[in-house]
Amino acid sequence: MAGANSNIQITDLDFNSIKNNLKTFLKSQDTLKDYNYEGSALSVLLDILAYNTQYQAFYTNMAANEMFLDSAIQRSSVVSLAKSLGYTPKSVIAPTATVNIVVNGVNASTPQLVLPSHTQLMSEAINGVNYTFVTTDTMFADTNFATSTATFPNVQIKQGIPASSSILVNNAVNPTSLIEINNSNIDTTTLQVTVQQSSSNSDYQIFNLADSYLTLDGNSKVYFLQEGIDGNYQIYFGDGVLGQQLSDGNIVTVNYISSSGIAAAGANNFVIMNPINGYSNITVSPVVAASQGAAKETIDSIKFHAPKAFAAQKRAVSKEDYINAIQNNNLGYNFDAVNVWGGQENNPPVYGQVMISVKPTGAYTLTQNQKNLLAKDVIEPISMVTVVPTFVDPDYTYLQLTTNVWYDPKKTNLTPNQLQTSIKNAIASYAATSLNTFNSYFSLTDFNKVVSNVNQSIVSNEMEVKIQKKIYPNLGAPTTYNLEFGVPLAKGFFQSSVTSSPAIQYRDATITSSVIDGVFIEEVPSSTGGVDSISVLNPGFNYIAAPTITIKGDGTGATAYAVLSGTNTIKQIVVTNPGTGYTSAIAVVTPAPGDSTGQAGAVQVNLQGRYGTLRAYYNNTSSVKTTLNNNVGTIDYQSGVITLNSFSPIAVDTPLGQLTVTATPTTTLLSSNYNKIITVDPFDSSAIIVNVYAKT
Amino acid sequence: MANLQKIYSDIDFTFTKKPVTADVALSYDQQAVTRSIRNLLLTNHYERPFNPDLGAGVGALLFEPMNSLTSSQLESTIHTAITNYEPRAILKSVVVSPLLDKNSYGVTITFFLQNATQATTISVILERNR
Repeated sequence: MAGANSNIQITDLDFNSIKNNLKTFLKSQDTLKDYNYEGSALSVLLDILAYNTQYQAFYTNMAANEMFLDSAIQRSSVVSLAKSLGYTPKSVIAPTATVNIVVNGVNASTPQLVLPSHTQLMSEAINGVNYTFVTTDTMFADTNFATSTATFPNVQIKQGIPASSSILVNNAVNPTSLIEINNSNIDTTTLQVTVQQSSSNSDYQIFNLADSYLTLDGNSKVYFLQEGIDGNYQIYFGDGVLGQQLSDGNIVTVNYISSSGIAAAGANNFVIMNPINGYSNITVSPVVAASQGAAKETIDSIKFHAPKAFAAQKRAVSKEDYINAIQNNNLGYNFDAVNVWGGQENNPPVYGQVMISVKPTGAYTLTQNQKNLLAKDVIEPISMVTVVPTFVDPDYTYLQLTTNVWYDPKKTNLTPNQLQTSIKNAIASYAATSLNTFNSYFSLTDFNKVVSNVNQSIVSNEMEVKIQKKIYPNLGAPTTYNLEFGVPLAKGFFQSSVTSSPAIQYRDATITSSVIDGVFIEEVPSSTGGVDSISVLNPGFNYIAAPTITIKGDGTGATAYAVLSGTNTIKQIVVTNPGTGYTSAIAVVTPAPGDSTGQAGAVQVNLQGRYGTLRAYYNNTSSVKTTLNNNVGTIDYQSGVITLNSFSPIAVDTPLGQLTVTATPTTTLLSSNYNKIITVDPFDSSAIIVNVYAKT
Repeated sequence: MANLQKIYSDIDFTFTKKPVTADVALSYDQQAVTRSIRNLLLTNHYERPFNPDLGAGVGALLFEPMNSLTSSQLESTIHTAITNYEPRAILKSVVVSPLLDKNSYGVTITFFLQNATQATTISVILERNR
């Protein structure tokens, strides 16, 4: 039997390859020759052997794959591997809203009203579904007898339906009192676990989630949380060494909210379902719309976060530690993006602080309360005592993209409108995935590629990029706003490169009772500027007296003088009059009369142009552009900062009071760092404009 | 068969042992091919792993109305199966005749073995038994 093919290849996992390997092996002998004929008994045997080999190979391969976090596919395997890294997968997170609840017509007999926890409210329809929200805490409100009302301010409500389960502790059967919560929609951040003494003794104690094992002892009233094999969450209790062990006869009750997750995000209007203390004339007014909801953590997310959480070891030292700790907070907050940097990177540097910028899911910024809770409950317990967390709100730069597309109508059956819509959707979807986070970048080339790949009929396209800042001005109170665009801005020569929208209202400076509507802000057109500074290229030598500086160029009126150093060289040039109308200029250094030794001094003229001015204007009754204020602010073209000085409109002509300032960048490669986020506003219909033209 | 050199050798389907060597019994040439053809005819499609086309699928046809149409269908099915999966046999004829009173088909397959001068004939009765 020995021969060239007497070794069987064992690396293949495919049925046909395995069978072929067996045939190759059989070729080395001549006792059995019929291995190639499908009807032969040998072929039947080979089929069985190959099938069995493949079955075993698959099984071994799968079992080995499931043993490692990187290759595991089954959720139960991934969860189990994450468990050994000390990571519990995140559950469904209920969206949270804040409302004010006012009870009307309260009579003198009820001086105080109680709003119990889990009081139900019904939301407005979101995508055709009304969701149930519940209050999270019990609240009390004193009656205001003057108005016969009682107000519960800033009531936090979460989407979901209260649910509970309980067991009777029996240590012989279930020594860790493990309770499996058979509800895949549980929001584990809302878990409330109480242990009642017994059926005859109603004393109870509240148990909390164990998060640090260093501080636990046999009396710690904690429970542990894990995800079970079938995807349900399980809670269990200590063994008397790590956490208190429960006694036979104790009754464990678990209360939680069963939520639909992110589906209810955006709900802002609610009605209360039941009377409060018998009063049913109740007004619920929105404060913060429902946000922060999330679906149950996916397998991919667990694979991503578990090793990182393990690497951080519940300590915040590096930037990634902070990001992980914030992303995996146990407050139920959900974030689209988190960025962290040391205060020493700020300009000017702030030492001893860590700067944190967070983009919450479904909102633009965190509320102050959320920031406080994150700092106190999430960061401070694990960060170094000398490092102070400081929250910086994300600074959004919005893009306004205008695309002109030429297409060949013979190569598509789409109507111009359909083509326009699909291009718009492609841009919006690419923007949503590639931008809208920290440390991202906008590349015009990439966007152009996206547009040209939308349809084969597109022949050519060009995109114009403008960048916007959106502010909510303090109405009537002069305030200075610094809008940092983060990129150099283009200067407008024939028309303003800076615009504002919508119209704002200003009080007339002379007749203060009259209001001027239809006011906009624009750049003051300046064709050319004067001399900004003169820098010394070569200080020269042997100057006895300061040489004369003569500025020559296409403008007029610029003058300057030189200052000598102690060593008879030119120290600096002082510009006394910048002059006007220069587009190019040189400065000539002439030794002072009588100075025969001074020589070789050379200087360079820097023209003005770094700064521009903003003005406010309106169109008067005969539609003539009239300047209201010639200097409402400045533009620093180089660093891309627009400053509105003592800006005090009395109204912005939009319901939200939001003012958009649009500028033109000099570059089409924009990047974001620190707390900057570049995004395309999905709620702004003019953010993406697509014009399609048929090629003729 | 007069040829002494055995071209084909297969394990015997009965898995009996040789009396002298106690090794598994083998079948050769004509016997091996005959058994292989029988095996092919009794195999239904999708019966062999990863080879759904293999087999003749005669079982299903035995439950069709017994007439000349079915018998010619049986003929062509058997013909196709042998041509496709038994290259050792050069098929000469397949004759299927309905035995109406016995509720079964008589099948006579005549073929030449590669390199053999004498035809081999297999006669089997196909009968449904459930």
